[in-house]
Amino acid sequence: MNAPTPNIDSFLSIDNLTVEYPLSRRAKVHAVTEFTAHVKRGETLGLVGESGCGKSSAARAVMQLPRPTSGSVRLDGQELTTLRGAALQHARRKFQMIFQDPIASLNPRQTIRDIVAAPLEIAGIGTKEEQTAKVAEMLDLVGINPDQAMERRPHEFSGGQCQRISIARALILSPELLVCDEAVSALDVSVQAQVLNLLEKLKGELGLTMLFISHDLAVVKHVSDRVAVMYLGKLCELADAETIYRKPVHPYTRTLLAAVPEPDPDALRDRVELIPGELPSPVNPPSGCRFRTRCPFATARCTDEVPAIREIAPGHTVACHHPLMEHSAA
Amino acid sequence: MGEIILDVRNQRTAFATGRGMLQAVDGVSFTLERGKTLGVVGESGSGKSVLSRSIMRLLPGTSMTGPGSQILLNGKDLTAMTENQLRRMRGPEMAIVFQDPMTALNPTLSIGKQIMEVLMFHLKMSKRDARAKAVDLLKAVGLPQPDVRVDQYPHQLSGGMRQRVAIAIAIACEPDLLIADEPTTALDVTVQAEILDLLQRMVRERNMAMILITHDMGVVAGRCDDVAVMYAGKIVEKAPVRSLFSETRMPYTAALLSSIPRVTDPPHRKLDAIEGRPPDLINPPPGCPFAPRCRHAEDACNRAVPELTGTADHQWACIKPLNTEAAA
Repeated sequence: MNAPTPNIDSFLSIDNLTVEYPLSRRAKVHAVTEFTAHVKRGETLGLVGESGCGKSSAARAVMQLPRPTSGSVRLDGQELTTLRGAALQHARRKFQMIFQDPIASLNPRQTIRDIVAAPLEIAGIGTKEEQTAKVAEMLDLVGINPDQAMERRPHEFSGGQCQRISIARALILSPELLVCDEAVSALDVSVQAQVLNLLEKLKGELGLTMLFISHDLAVVKHVSDRVAVMYLGKLCELADAETIYRKPVHPYTRTLLAAVPEPDPDALRDRVELIPGELPSPVNPPSGCRFRTRCPFATARCTDEVPAIREIAPGHTVACHHPLMEHSAA
Repeated sequence: MGEIILDVRNQRTAFATGRGMLQAVDGVSFTLERGKTLGVVGESGSGKSVLSRSIMRLLPGTSMTGPGSQILLNGKDLTAMTENQLRRMRGPEMAIVFQDPMTALNPTLSIGKQIMEVLMFHLKMSKRDARAKAVDLLKAVGLPQPDVRVDQYPHQLSGGMRQRVAIAIAIACEPDLLIADEPTTALDVTVQAEILDLLQRMVRERNMAMILITHDMGVVAGRCDDVAVMYAGKIVEKAPVRSLFSETRMPYTAALLSSIPRVTDPPHRKLDAIEGRPPDLINPPPGCPFAPRCRHAEDACNRAVPELTGTADHQWACIKPLNTEAAA
């Protein structure tokens, strides 16, 4: 049994992260169950899966918004889940987040200057003039002309520009970890490309570590060094971006990849047929492997035994009793 | 040539706004044959959804249709019809499936009632026959346990199941034209594949014509016969799907294709983003609407709006088309 290699040099360590939302005294939503991932400094971990797979819950638990039910989140050696009050607020300078809806995440009544300066204001950093100068520097960095933008309000900007402003706000405290939750999903493809290129550029220039959550597998591949695939609250597979897209071994990863519509009329569509059916409820997830109810390879063992996460190649882990490599390796 | 179901001639749709007239659809013409699927691709604000509503005549009161516009469905001009006449067209001759299956369905009626309503109004079916037919339709669109589901309400179904119900309603009266307006944008990728398969199967089995409206080049690539690319209210390129991808003429189409992240790309490839933004449709530029963002633009591009030119199959609205002898 190969346990995943413990990653001592990881900058962000997520261990056995579990997020549950109570519904009533007895029932609860199992949003994330024992999710483990380690991210090195300067690395981008992509987190993909379909709606309800727990990717956003996991991201928010990393942000301590809200705090996870159990498990550990360590950033640069510091345990975040036990921090309280002022200590947590202080630690937040190191990890910031950008959200999906760029317009809804900016206060419509504030000027761009006040929106981007808010983190400095809260942290009590700098005089008004120093803050304004820093805002101008950040806007410039994300490709917004500060002279024209400072005194205007969000409704005067397009979705792409609002997302750039959100990025400026998230980066103004020089965080080391940036969590992007579907940060480009609401944007048109031409604008999406601009924002993705911007994130890549900033990551290089500022040495950011990123957790990049998206339902779009192609977008995730573009920004990620490693990719984790989730299904119904559980990690299915984690590997470097190249490997997971070229040789997925979890049946769900393969299904998900095969379903991506490729912008190429001659693309071969080797579809792995799912067992027709619906996503099971996260209130009563299936026993054993959570994917077994739709998996074409499921056996009795998948019902009885939760598949452990095992390392099948250096840095490539999978939680499956019947990974797809076995038949090809034989 | 097959039988022409739909003939759109110089469709112009404008909206009155506080700042002036916004020309959302600006002189769109095309024909569509029975059994064929036309993909309409464009980004937000390109006019693709206003075009679909213009064909269905589902426009708000603030809209104006240009004087020279005609939409012929089976030879009958929809722009000249009264609301009562249109009601008889929607269902038996044309139908639409919208993006959001939750808001498209009535939350206070069982899904069976919503299908029966269509059948009883248009086909004058009895209640009993309509119910039996509703179960058949739910089965045809692949809803599990149709005889149980028929009495359920939209909130009891998942997004994918709701979209199947919306498709069942749309095909209930066997329309000749089916418009699917971003039918899978709100759905997960594995469900998207199932719904697109279903639409394709329905078009084939029932020999309908379909307009598939989407922002996703990947969706049109696998599912359409012809593709029209829209920009700033106009069709800027139209071609059989293979030619559009392999012999792209319009620089906008080419730019759009290369700005898409692909799963087959190596990680961290820099994307060819299109700088700038689409033009203001209240005060459009005098020349080609894409010229301000086009890396091939010349002075001549800013002088006059280019007309659609090319062959019967492949047309483009550009004076400097790519991949042609003239451009070389």
